[in-house]
Amino acid sequence: MANKLTFDAIVVGGGPAGTSAAITMAKAGLQTILIERGRFAGAKNFFGGVLYTHALNEVLPDWQSRGPALERPVTDTGYWLLSPDSVLRFTQKSERYKKVPAESYTALRANFDPWFAQQAVDLGVLVITKTTVTGFLRDEKGRVIGVTTDRPDGDVYAPIVIIGEGVNNLLTQQLGLAKSDLPPRYVALSVKEYLGLPEKEVEARFGLSGPDEGVAIDIFGDVTLGLPGTGFIYTDKAGISIGCGLLLEQLVINNLKPYEILARFKNHPIIKPYLEGAERLEYGAHLIPETGYDRMPALYTDGVMIAGDAAGMVDALHREGTNLAMIAGKMAGETAIEAHKQKNFSAEFLKGYRRRLQDSFVLKDLKQYRRMTDFLDSTPHFMETYVNFANDAAYRYFTAHGMAKRDMEKEIIRLLTRRRSFLGVAVDMIKLLRGMRG
Amino acid sequence: MSEKKRTTLNPALAATLPPTNVDDLLVSVKYYVDEEYAHIRIKDDRVCAECAHHPCLDFCPAGVFTQDRTGKILVGYQACLECGSCRIGCPYQNVDWNLPRGGYGVAYKFG
Repeated sequence: MANKLTFDAIVVGGGPAGTSAAITMAKAGLQTILIERGRFAGAKNFFGGVLYTHALNEVLPDWQSRGPALERPVTDTGYWLLSPDSVLRFTQKSERYKKVPAESYTALRANFDPWFAQQAVDLGVLVITKTTVTGFLRDEKGRVIGVTTDRPDGDVYAPIVIIGEGVNNLLTQQLGLAKSDLPPRYVALSVKEYLGLPEKEVEARFGLSGPDEGVAIDIFGDVTLGLPGTGFIYTDKAGISIGCGLLLEQLVINNLKPYEILARFKNHPIIKPYLEGAERLEYGAHLIPETGYDRMPALYTDGVMIAGDAAGMVDALHREGTNLAMIAGKMAGETAIEAHKQKNFSAEFLKGYRRRLQDSFVLKDLKQYRRMTDFLDSTPHFMETYVNFANDAAYRYFTAHGMAKRDMEKEIIRLLTRRRSFLGVAVDMIKLLRGMRG
Repeated sequence: MSEKKRTTLNPALAATLPPTNVDDLLVSVKYYVDEEYAHIRIKDDRVCAECAHHPCLDFCPAGVFTQDRTGKILVGYQACLECGSCRIGCPYQNVDWNLPRGGYGVAYKFG
């Protein structure tokens, strides 16, 4: 027992949630160990994607001076509605986005996450990689007092364990905090390619004036064959991240190959010119928990707190996840600091973690959009019908036919009613509103 | 999930999907293959034999699941991107999916 490896806190997983928790606790002087199964923090992490600086500000206020591994600030952002032969763009480009630091940046996780974990190391966290946590150590009353790993003599003890294990929340399930595996209806499978393209080319194609501008676009409609899901294009420093995500259940029941959907998307006449000559540098896939507020795991038990994707902390509508994870990780860390002060690691005390989240945007947003995935799933025609209608209507609107405008307006209405009855439209809009308002 | 629920995608749309060889994509992925431990296995081959649509052959983004001439499902775990889809997407929960041992499996270069 003399060699028992003991810390003040154990963090499982070196992603945004785990690293934020570790940084928060290390700054308060807690002896913290972070255990990561990949060869480095971020080796298993994969996203679109965009990072939000409001979360970094809270976790690591001096992050800017620490040389963060970011790609481009997002200065031009919005939605594209893609029909088989057209696109209708709702994007905003503004000088207002051009501030330092910007509100959000595109990033590549195999660069960002190791940088973030290094900040934790610099603050005194012991980061152990290539080690998979396999289970829990418990005291005689069944309370968690540490973890087991796949290393020889790899047991690690601490009165508090923060789990940021990611979407495949096997440990959370092992603890009984998640009652079952994620239902395929509430999980998106996303695939992405990172394409290399010279900086100047990226800027010319997307109308960017230099490296301090960047694009983040979500794309609806034909990209997912009209099925519930989205596509995305983000500009990186010298490359483009392009991908798409569909609810896993849709892929299952339609026998679809996600990479064929992506290949089709890349080949779309509107999309193709942006990618011409770009070289595929990496392909990957990741699940996104869209389980929502009503299906979240319990967030704590004796000696344990759960943060990030493992707890389903994703706001898919606004493509937010890493920021929810960072804030949750920080709040778990703060709760752990309090627990140490009070020498109380009981579930009753750790309830404070959930309270903090409830007072923040994390649980407020998740609660507001609790019906969003259900809305998409119960209205599978939504994307196809309205995206195609919007494109047809725009085409009709922007072309002249020597016809009275009043007649043209009627024709546009007919374009819609041919696709969906007035009652159907009304029901869809009410459902959408419910999904948005919570 | 039961297999009862099946929506059929508009066949004209489905026909626009370009046949794609997943291996062409996977050459861009860095792996540290664990030759001694397969982190994915089929729980019971008989369940796969009874499965009507074999969605795993399609939805797996790495094409880990293939079928041999006898119809048996083979698992090429070495190509796994560790997304976890098969664990939850198999209609019969017939895929035993675990985390690879520490340090093994996919290691994204860009992520």
